[in-house]
Amino acid sequence: MTNAAARILLVKTSLDGHWRGLSVVARALRDAGFHVIMGGMLTGAEIVRAAVDEDVDLVGLNVGGHVEVVIRVIGELRAARQDLPIFAGGVLPPSSCRRLNAMGVETFPPGSSLDEIVAAARRLTAPVAGA
Amino acid sequence: MSRPPLPPTFATRSGIPLRASYGPEDVPESHRAVMGTRPGQPPFHRGGFAQGYRTKPWRIFQLSGFGKPEDENERIKFLLEHGETGFLMEHDRNTADHMYNVDHPDVVARREDVGQTGAVMQSVREVAICLDGIPIESTYGHAGGAVVQHAPFALAAYWTVAKRRGIALDALGGTGQSDFFLTYLGCVTKQQVPTAAGLRLNADIIEFCSEHVPKWVPVSIAGYNGGDTGLNAYQELGAVIANAIEYLDEIKRRGRLDMATAAYRVAGVNFRSTMDIFEDAAKLRAARKMWCTLLRDRYGITDERAQRMRIHIVTAGSMMTYQQPFNNIVRGTLMALSAVLGGTQSLGVSGYDEAISIPSEHAHQMSVRIQQILQHETNLASVADPLGGSYYIETLTADIEKRAWEFAADIEQRGGFLATLDSGWLHARARDNQVAWQQAENDGRQTIVGVTDFRGDSTPFEVDGFPGVNDSFDVALERLHTVKRERHEAGAHAALKGLEAACRGTANVMPAMMVALDAEVTLGEVGDLFRDVWGDWQTPELI
Repeated sequence: MTNAAARILLVKTSLDGHWRGLSVVARALRDAGFHVIMGGMLTGAEIVRAAVDEDVDLVGLNVGGHVEVVIRVIGELRAARQDLPIFAGGVLPPSSCRRLNAMGVETFPPGSSLDEIVAAARRLTAPVAGA
Repeated sequence: MSRPPLPPTFATRSGIPLRASYGPEDVPESHRAVMGTRPGQPPFHRGGFAQGYRTKPWRIFQLSGFGKPEDENERIKFLLEHGETGFLMEHDRNTADHMYNVDHPDVVARREDVGQTGAVMQSVREVAICLDGIPIESTYGHAGGAVVQHAPFALAAYWTVAKRRGIALDALGGTGQSDFFLTYLGCVTKQQVPTAAGLRLNADIIEFCSEHVPKWVPVSIAGYNGGDTGLNAYQELGAVIANAIEYLDEIKRRGRLDMATAAYRVAGVNFRSTMDIFEDAAKLRAARKMWCTLLRDRYGITDERAQRMRIHIVTAGSMMTYQQPFNNIVRGTLMALSAVLGGTQSLGVSGYDEAISIPSEHAHQMSVRIQQILQHETNLASVADPLGGSYYIETLTADIEKRAWEFAADIEQRGGFLATLDSGWLHARARDNQVAWQQAENDGRQTIVGVTDFRGDSTPFEVDGFPGVNDSFDVALERLHTVKRERHEAGAHAALKGLEAACRGTANVMPAMMVALDAEVTLGEVGDLFRDVWGDWQTPELI
């Protein structure tokens, strides 16, 4: 355990600019004590760069597009930082959730409670804790 | 219930306190004076038209579009065959909202996203495919261009298709959108022209339509996008009024169009209806009254045609749940009922799979069927303003009106609608409500059936949403190469130069945009030009 708050990078994988869901999640994570970095709309390569530059403990992917894009982003992130935990939320049909879950990525489709999301962030950043 | 119930609070979704019942003494004196008017009489809170839906049923008008232009074309025809009475073209968000062609690096990096939210239409050729076989001379169409910087292109493309078919533009009915709420508040793009340039483009569209496409609704203020981003009912309404003031003041400043004509053009407005059925019905009544009052008192407009606000409603997408999606058919019906009780002129009902994907054919069909059942089986369409005279509804109408005027005045004091978008003040209002509403669900003060409570699920099969098609990107890229290869390059170049001159000067951009579309100038080329001329909007802090 350290005193430093765990650092979470939140990004949008698509070019769909709806921000309401991400805003509510970001606020809840901040209120729970996490250091939240808003990355905006980024490509896979940009997400990798931001995750490395900001030395984050967790990446949250806000999905407003196709799951194949998300899967490619996860691949790029893991190639750069194998150990970095990732979770995803947004418009994710059940079949897309299953595909991401099978890759070890927890998913939070619409209707997920803020308590569940905060609990997952705590669990996924447990080694650095502090949040 | 899975949780201990908290003490109930009795208030509208916007937080207006509610009594157990209402009587004549609750209706404010100021509102009592107009309670005796009839639908079709100013100030029109009871409805714009004396005969209500008897002579003109509300238009069944669903958002639609995905994939390639031919996929979108097929879905529009499906909806029209099932009884839709107007159609809306959705353009792909990646390309259209950003004014990028598909070969833009930001699009290539997300190639599978292309076509998920609408068809890719980079030149007039693709718009022609999307409209193939659809009788636009006799069918009310929405050309797309929801986002401000995209509207001139989308409208010019639609009108160019019409002209090539030999349809006179002055006979063409339909609507654009070019909505500030979507563009600068609800769905913020990575790149967008600044609000001042957006206002200029909208004023150009309004003036061009008045002269050349008089039956067209040039722009449509969409309070919906403010509401579904988090503004409550009276904030949504107040902000719509503030937005209209910004348009009308600009038209007045330019001095090229008489104000009654301008007001009539701007009077086609979009709101959302939510699960607070009476609050939103009352909101529409208040909206019409405020519009009439605004035009009369601020602009001195006495033309009753202009004083009648015409309303399109989309049911709140944010109220459709991911869990137990068939419950959303009930939610769609109730939100549609709210819109009809409030006297809407047209209506789109969100798909029951709204929280999962774009609508499947079946979800789309259900949205149409809900409206047909309301129109044909319920007797709802026989009497205008059925809520009129209810002590509760009249009191709520007056209360929403008062709060909406206050919100509009607050915006004006902060420099106006554009200034509160630029500064992020409106975003902060929306964000505060988003967080409060989500927190209410989280801590048990707001029950959402199937989500926060009553979660047992025996849905007979999984609703996995609509997957779309997987060849949108490849086909769009091929078509982009084809149009650039086959078009008359010198003509396209000259048209683009003409458009640049219009943008840099003060002339209306629409005639030059029509020339550019006819010369097969592409979406990304116009986007690059706009970025070069006007630069990027400085997005305020959203979170």
